[in-house]
Amino acid sequence: MFVWTKAFALVLAFAGFALAQSLPDSSKVQSLADSSKVQDVAFSNLYVSIEGGEKYPFGDLVDAVDNAFYAGLGVRYTYWEDFDGIILFQYAYFEPHGKVSRINGVHEASGKLGLDYRWRLISPIAFGAGFLCNWTRADYEGDKEDFDYNHDPGATLTDNETEFGWFARLNLPVFTLDNYRAGLNVLWEQLWTQPERSNMLTIGFYVERRIW
Amino acid sequence: MFSFAGRNSLTKVASAVIFCAVVSVAAVDAEMEGMEVDQRDDGTFLVGSPTFYFDRALGSGGLHSESELWSPSKIRQRLLFSRLSVLPSWDVLPPSVWLKTGNELGDLIYQDFITTEDRPKNRTPILEGGFRSPSFKGFWVTARGFQDDHFSTRTFAYRKKLVDSEFALFGENYPMFSSVYAGAGYTGSKLNVSALAGEEYLWLFYESSRWIPVHYKPRVETRLDYGKLAATVVYEDAEYQNKKKKETGSRKEWNGSLRYGCGDACRKGFLHLSAGVAFRAVDDEGTVYSSLEDDRVLLPFMEMQFRVGNRFAARASFAVNDRDWLVQDSIEFSPVVPSKSGITLGVKNISGTRLNPMADTREFFDGDTISLTADGRMDLVQGYAAFTDTVGNLEMGGRGSFWAEYGAETFDVEKYVVDDIMVYRHGDIGRINDWIKGVTGELWMSIWYKEMFVFKALGGFERIDGEEKRFEVTPAEYFASFSADWLLRKSFRISHSLRYRSDAQWNLRSRDPMVIKGDWFWDATFEQQFPKQGLYLTGTLLHVIGDEVVETPNGAENHLRFVCTVKKTF
Repeated sequence: MFVWTKAFALVLAFAGFALAQSLPDSSKVQSLADSSKVQDVAFSNLYVSIEGGEKYPFGDLVDAVDNAFYAGLGVRYTYWEDFDGIILFQYAYFEPHGKVSRINGVHEASGKLGLDYRWRLISPIAFGAGFLCNWTRADYEGDKEDFDYNHDPGATLTDNETEFGWFARLNLPVFTLDNYRAGLNVLWEQLWTQPERSNMLTIGFYVERRIW
Repeated sequence: MFSFAGRNSLTKVASAVIFCAVVSVAAVDAEMEGMEVDQRDDGTFLVGSPTFYFDRALGSGGLHSESELWSPSKIRQRLLFSRLSVLPSWDVLPPSVWLKTGNELGDLIYQDFITTEDRPKNRTPILEGGFRSPSFKGFWVTARGFQDDHFSTRTFAYRKKLVDSEFALFGENYPMFSSVYAGAGYTGSKLNVSALAGEEYLWLFYESSRWIPVHYKPRVETRLDYGKLAATVVYEDAEYQNKKKKETGSRKEWNGSLRYGCGDACRKGFLHLSAGVAFRAVDDEGTVYSSLEDDRVLLPFMEMQFRVGNRFAARASFAVNDRDWLVQDSIEFSPVVPSKSGITLGVKNISGTRLNPMADTREFFDGDTISLTADGRMDLVQGYAAFTDTVGNLEMGGRGSFWAEYGAETFDVEKYVVDDIMVYRHGDIGRINDWIKGVTGELWMSIWYKEMFVFKALGGFERIDGEEKRFEVTPAEYFASFSADWLLRKSFRISHSLRYRSDAQWNLRSRDPMVIKGDWFWDATFEQQFPKQGLYLTGTLLHVIGDEVVETPNGAENHLRFVCTVKKTF
């Protein structure tokens, strides 16, 4: 509970700080439904970023894996005047909670693709959503045939496993300096797993550089 | 868009009729080229594998599914045992590079650590990558690797025993097909020629209800289009095996077609003509689980279209050889042709000795020979009336038909064999020598706004009567389909469809009929488009709200799936 309180307070603090930044020019913001006056601004700006933070399992997943640090790379590009496209690649290493499995841990590579909406009322905060794809594989040096696939915890992860899901996020820029920006990425992700969906909260810092 | 202004009324009404059949395809992306049937519910569409499905549009008449019927328009489709299929498609795509992946949703991942009982079955992915280069003085090269592991888990254990390898280009899921090809071609103003070579693993579904593994090594396909001439020649070196019974066999096959259509002068006139020939020749050795009579089939065919003004049109195709003949024709009359609406009255006929004269003629199953041909002939006649009307951005239409079929192809079952979850059958292809009659009705409407929005609604019913009930599939009686396509700011596409199909039933593949319960389905595609850059990022959710049930005998569950694609056009 303490971790969650701390994380929530951190997010609120950064959100407040971010809101104190100046509002962007909103005159170019268009109605989503107005397709007749659209100017093609796709890829007119492109940014790359590095990111690091922690992933917190949520719900029943807290009994499955512990919190894990992650690192990643990001690309953000202009899609519309008020929307950015986002592509995120992240890596994390999860350890099973309470030694429930013989495997040491799980490598997770996550790819995310979506859109950020720069709503002028909360600028420069942006919120976004999209789809994600997580690839996982157990950190286990033994023979995978040692596992009973129908019962042993972690058995299916001894082979490559991939699952899709969706995410929603808040992009909270904190410092902006010329071509650089630093901020907080608060991201909720849900993997479409069985028998239950798997939920995680990701909180990380990023440093972003404008390429053009 | 669906504005028909500027077209003649007969074409308009014909379009409306066709619209009824294709509207549910909408714009939701198929998981793979040729799998569009999985997003259709304007009739009975039951998918058990990418390589086997039952596809019958409600208004089409007769008891057969579309893929069972040969026609000249399908001469470049793949012959999967006795059915014609787009998948696995060796049609060369436009210049681009693309990558596709997806998965049946519902793997355990981290749930694996906390789920020790009643663990869900493994979910399996889909993979495709390919490119076609831009033309250099007309010349281009292409390559494509694609395999669909979906629908593979339920029959995995059974199929694994039959083969001595993973039977795929990559992975260990024993996918229902796995294919790779590469080649080159030339595209000029009149000439289009290509040559492709590759390797392919397929699991084909036979009349006995067995999955038969076929390994093409190599498969070579050449095509030539010159003016009105279209030629295709394919060479397949196929290996057959049954590791469990220590059986092996091979089939070397040449197949293809030649077609010539009349020239521009003919096209400007009232009579359109084309003619050609489709052929297969096989050389079997060892244990091959089916055969073709005389090891060859040659099927000459001719197509005609006759039009008088915008009120009368007649179409016909004839195919005949020393064993079979097949005639498909229709006559349409439009008595009312106002500017924005129309009425069409039509009659359609299909007659022949065999739905697919190009298919093998015998199957061999545990010492039994299953005849894949039946004596006699089938006759299907269908009369229909269709109307369409347009008011501003609203278009509506309907179609009613009555059909009657005598001599419909069926299967005369002698006995069933149960092997764990699999059920096989012995017997022969036969006929229902009785009249089966049906009445159908469909209504549809469409609303659109500029290029941004199209909404379509379609509903239909069918009632089938007759003394005999020996249908392979009793089709669904009702369907409803609602789809919407959005193009936001000309560069973000959302396409989705919500559909309902009533119960359908397989009657002849197991002792007790297999009922496929009616259900609702929802599919959706989201796509970021960058037209200037030619870049498309697409995500598609398939089979979202429907129960995940087995839809064909010895098939696999139709799971919720997600597929994403990145494509860059040149």
